[in-house]
Formats: sequence, C-alpha cells, structure tokens
Amino acid sequence: MISDRRKNALIFLIPSLILLGVTIVLPLAYSFFISFFSVDLKYKGLGAFMGFGNYASALKDQYFMGSIKTTVIFSVIVVVIEFVLGFAIALLFNCKIKGKNIFFSIVIIPMMITPVAVGLTWRLLLHSTLGVVNWLLSFIGITGHAWLADNATALGTVIFIDVWQQISYMVLILLAGLVSLPKEPYEAASIDGASRWQSFKYVTLPLMAPTFLVAILLRLITAFKTYDLIYVLTKGGPGTATEVVSYYIYKQAFTHLKTSRAAAMSFILLLILIPVSYIATRILRNRNEG
Amino acid sequence: MATVQLKNIKKIYPHSESKQKKGLFGKKKDEEPEKKHNLQITAEGTVAVQQFSLDIADKEFIVLVGPSGCGKSTTLRMIAGLDTITEGELYIDGRLVNDVPPKGRDIAMVFQNYALYPHMSVYDNMAFALKLRKMPKAEIDRKVREAAEILDITEYLDRKPKALSGGQRQRVAIGRAIVREPQVFLMDEPLSNLDAKLRNQMRSEILKLRQRIDTTFIYVTHDQTEAMTLGDRIVIMRDGFIQQIGTPHEVYNHPHNLFVAGFIGTPQMNFFQTRLECENGEFYVPLYGTRFELNEKQKQMIKERGIEPQEITLGIRPEHVSLCKEGGVEAEVDVSEMMGSSVHLHCSVQGEEVVVIVSGLELGEEHASGFSHGEKVRLHFDSNVLHLFGADEVNLL
Repeated sequence: MISDRRKNALIFLIPSLILLGVTIVLPLAYSFFISFFSVDLKYKGLGAFMGFGNYASALKDQYFMGSIKTTVIFSVIVVVIEFVLGFAIALLFNCKIKGKNIFFSIVIIPMMITPVAVGLTWRLLLHSTLGVVNWLLSFIGITGHAWLADNATALGTVIFIDVWQQISYMVLILLAGLVSLPKEPYEAASIDGASRWQSFKYVTLPLMAPTFLVAILLRLITAFKTYDLIYVLTKGGPGTATEVVSYYIYKQAFTHLKTSRAAAMSFILLLILIPVSYIATRILRNRNEG
Repeated sequence: MATVQLKNIKKIYPHSESKQKKGLFGKKKDEEPEKKHNLQITAEGTVAVQQFSLDIADKEFIVLVGPSGCGKSTTLRMIAGLDTITEGELYIDGRLVNDVPPKGRDIAMVFQNYALYPHMSVYDNMAFALKLRKMPKAEIDRKVREAAEILDITEYLDRKPKALSGGQRQRVAIGRAIVREPQVFLMDEPLSNLDAKLRNQMRSEILKLRQRIDTTFIYVTHDQTEAMTLGDRIVIMRDGFIQQIGTPHEVYNHPHNLFVAGFIGTPQMNFFQTRLECENGEFYVPLYGTRFELNEKQKQMIKERGIEPQEITLGIRPEHVSLCKEGGVEAEVDVSEMMGSSVHLHCSVQGEEVVVIVSGLELGEEHASGFSHGEKVRLHFDSNVLHLFGADEVNLL
C-alpha cells in the first residue's frame, strides 16, 4: 500500500514526470526505436528494418571512429589542464586574500556565457587579419597565423578556448570541496609537526580525493559531449581536425539526413558514457552517506 | 615534562576577523567554538581572555573549567599555538614560545571532536607524527603498539576512524598524543562527546594514564566533576577572567566568590539574600527568623579584616543542610530526587528554593524511596560551614 505521504508526493510530482516523459523519455525511446531502421529524412516512413546494421556500420565508419579518437584526445587534455589549473586557482581562493570575492566573480564569468557567444567572441579575437590576438602577437614578431584554420593549431586552439570557458566549473567544484574540509585535521597535523606542504600532501590531497574524482568524471562527461563550441568555431575543420563525435553525429542527422545512423551512433556514445557516470554517481552517493 | 608559565596573557579577536572568516559560500569557515555573551568588546575586538597569569609546575595536572564562552578553550589553543597571543608571555620549559609554531612547542593535543585523520587507519593516525619526525619504522611500530596496548585499541589498528565508536575514537586521539611523548599534554574537552557512562569510564582511564605517563597536563572542561576529580589544581574562568586558582579542596571549601561557589558542586550551593548583623560586638546572620551565630574562627576573621555589618549573600552547600525533628526551619518538599545512595530534596522555604542532600542512612524506613510532594520537613543549617559573600560577590571570609 502507498502511504498518504507518498501519495501526496506523487500527485505533486506528476506534472514534472509528464514533462520529463514527453521531453526526455519519449524522444529517447523513439530514437532507440528508429536506430534499428533506416530512417532517411529525404523519404517518408521508417524505411527497412536494419537490426543492428546501423551499429555495425557505425563501428566500421572510420570517420566516426576518428571523431571518437579526436573527442578522447580533446576531452582528456581539456580535463587534465582544467583540473590542474583549476585546483591551483581553487587553492588560491581558499587562502585569505584581499578582494577575493571580486576575483572570484571574474573567474566564474566565462561559465555564465553561452558557448555560442564564447565561440563567436573568440573567433573574432583570433581572426587571422582583424583579430586582437594576432595584433598583440605581432609585437613579438608572430604574424598573421590562422589559429583555427591551421591543421596543426586548430585542436589546440579549441582546447584553449574550452579551458578558458570551463575552468570556472572546475574551480567551483574544487573550491566547494576545499571549503567543506574539516579544519580539525589541519590543527592536529600542525601539532603533530606537519609543515604546510606536509599538511597539503597528507591531509588536503587524500581528503579531496573523492571531490577530485567527481569533478574529473563530471567534466569528462560534459567534455565528451562538446558540440556547440566546435560548431561555432570550426565546424569540425580544418578537414576533420576538430571533428568531435557529437558534431559528427549532428552532421549525420542534419546534413546527411541519416537519422537512424545518427541515432545508433548516439547510443554508442551513450554506452561509452554510462560507466563513467555510474562511477561518478557511486562516489557521490558514498560521500553523501559517509 | 615541562613547566608552563602564562604571564598576563590576553587574547583579542579582531572585529574584522569575524568578517574575514566568512567563506566564499557564505559559510563561516572557522566557527567559534563558544558563544560570547558577556565578553568585553573594545575598539580592537572581542576580548576573549585577559589578565591570565598562571604558573604550571612540572608534571602538574591543571584543569581549566568554566561555562561556555569563558575563554578556557582559547587559552588552551594559545598554549598549543593554534591561536596567536595578543598580549602577554607564554613560556614552556622556561622558553618564550609566543611566536613558536605548534610543531616547535613539543606539545600534544587531544581535541573535543577527536580531529582524527579520516583517511588514515588507526595505526597511521597514531604513527603520523612519528613518521614526520623520520623515526625508524621499527621504533614507530613499537611505540604505536605500546600505546595501543595501554589504551586497549590493538584490535582496531587497521580500521578507519569512521568504523569506530566515539569512545574508541577518543582513545585513538589520546593514543596519537601519547606516542609523541610530549612535554605538555593538552586536552580540550576530550570527554564531552561521550555518553555519561563512557565519560566516567574514560575519566578514570585518564587518571590511570596520568600515572603512567608522568607529564604536564592541561585539561579543559566545562564539567566540574571532571575538574574536581582530575585536577591537581583547578582554574575557574568566567568571561575571559580567572575567578580562582586552587586545589579541588580549596575551590570547593573556600570559593573565592559567588560565581565559583555556584559553579563548583552539584547540586549547586544554596544562596540566601540576608544581612551580616552585629549586636553587642557579636556578629550573626539572621535567616528565616533564626539566628546563625558565627563560630570563633569566623568571628576572628571578621575582626581581623574589619568587616562591617552589611547586606550579604549567604551560601550553604546542600550537604550542610540536614533534616531535623525539632527546631530549625519549616520547609515543604517540592521535588525529591532519588539518587541511590542519597536523596536530593528541593524544598521551598518561604517561597525560596533550598536544596538538601539527605544521605540514605538518614532516611529511615518511611522515606526509603524519598519524600512525597508537599510533605513538611524541618531543615537544620550547619553554621560552621557558612559562606558569606559581600555586595561585590567576593567571599568575605
């Protein structure tokens, strides 16, 4: 039997459940369904039943596999840089410094800007002839480099811009973790004879480990899904230098109109991300219980 | 083993500090452990401790006791080096240590909430300080196991603090302090998070421990029973000032002022507003229509000190009030608390509450399980153990 309390809770939940069902569960189920057919937006209907054919062909598609490789490279580099820099910044904010709140506001501004605006802004800044970046670089003898159009620098530049925008997210999570650390172990450590470095090494780092993991995994998931920034900055180019998997899937669905194929690829991406998010939620749950 | 000297120590928490302590997320980062009600607030900040002077002898067990916010923990933290000293001098073993960081003071501290390293096993918690000193592994192992043996926690050495009960955690915290073999052992309300039974048990263990590791102890508590049972000397504090320093016997039998008299002893001392009168050169205290004649010693002291007749607060401890069949003062029983070996009677005499401790032996058959509400009794006050406090709340005798 459902208790009255639960029944009341359910009544209040129904509107959001319907909304979530219509906007998330239904499209998800539908896309899963069509991933077994050969829906092509140029034609009417579901097309032929393909079974796992779309999945098999996606795995054989060298561009798809290439885009996954690019995504992995992009995500790992972005997360490593953001983590190291972000932790350093978080440590600074955790100290007593004057004007901390002002600096903090500045650091989190990029997070509040939409990726499209960030992309457009940086495209202007990095413009090979009109951009401020190249103008400034010209003073030290570097001239007219097309940062986003050069195969060698495109991915690096996208990574730089993503770090610029997303680092505040890392700072925020890590700082929240630092602030919530108990202060007693530090006092105990200082009495036990630990130097500041030893306190950091033996107290801060181990106590922060769960936060580190959560921050890294959450950021890894979002980095893996990066799409908007790529769309605005490079459209996957030059060539396929910056073609990440989300953008490749988008292209399959809306440029080539191969909806079923794109759906199958999306579910492959989902399969890659499920273990990562599972680990992240497990850690979060353990931490909340502990 | 070391002497500790505190000379005119003062601690001011600057006003701005409380603002700075607000973290980025609006959460107070360093929450003050104690509320500050009656502390002096100056232009510089809140004065948590002032005029604190105390000489602690080598191997002495000193207890700082007082209500919340009296400055006892702050004093201990200044001795530990966790809080800076605003004014005054602190010497450990004859060395001025005001500006020496905690690790240079050769002290160990047991915290109220244990402050164990949550990510380390019990063994590593205890070994941490020794590892930092780069002590050989074999010796660390010997010391940790020895301390664990003393504290009866050998079987938990591999566990994390999370898997231990409060009492076990506190033992680990004590163990962590023991292995260091410090010059001074500081304890900040170590038993206050434990339940009553465990607290009693740990109290006697601390006494045993003290006999085993003969060193200087400074112990902070708000529990006067702990203070009385543990301390060689007790320092009673209130609102940042020392009220009295003395042996448990001294502070109990000769409280310096009204506060100490009320703070030390359970149930609390009975107080009566009355007068010190003089008739034909003989001093007496009138109370509920009877006359308390002072004994020779008391009269002598009054003469020596040239004390005049005046308004006073009369203090009588509950155990110095007894029941009598005739004479005395009539009272009505409000509440009778059966304590086992004795009964605490809360009586009302002319609208005022008087607490009486009646020992089990005096109870007799009919009152074996206490007294009933509204029962009439007669109280006898022992005039030999009166405490007279003047208008300034200081003990006159």
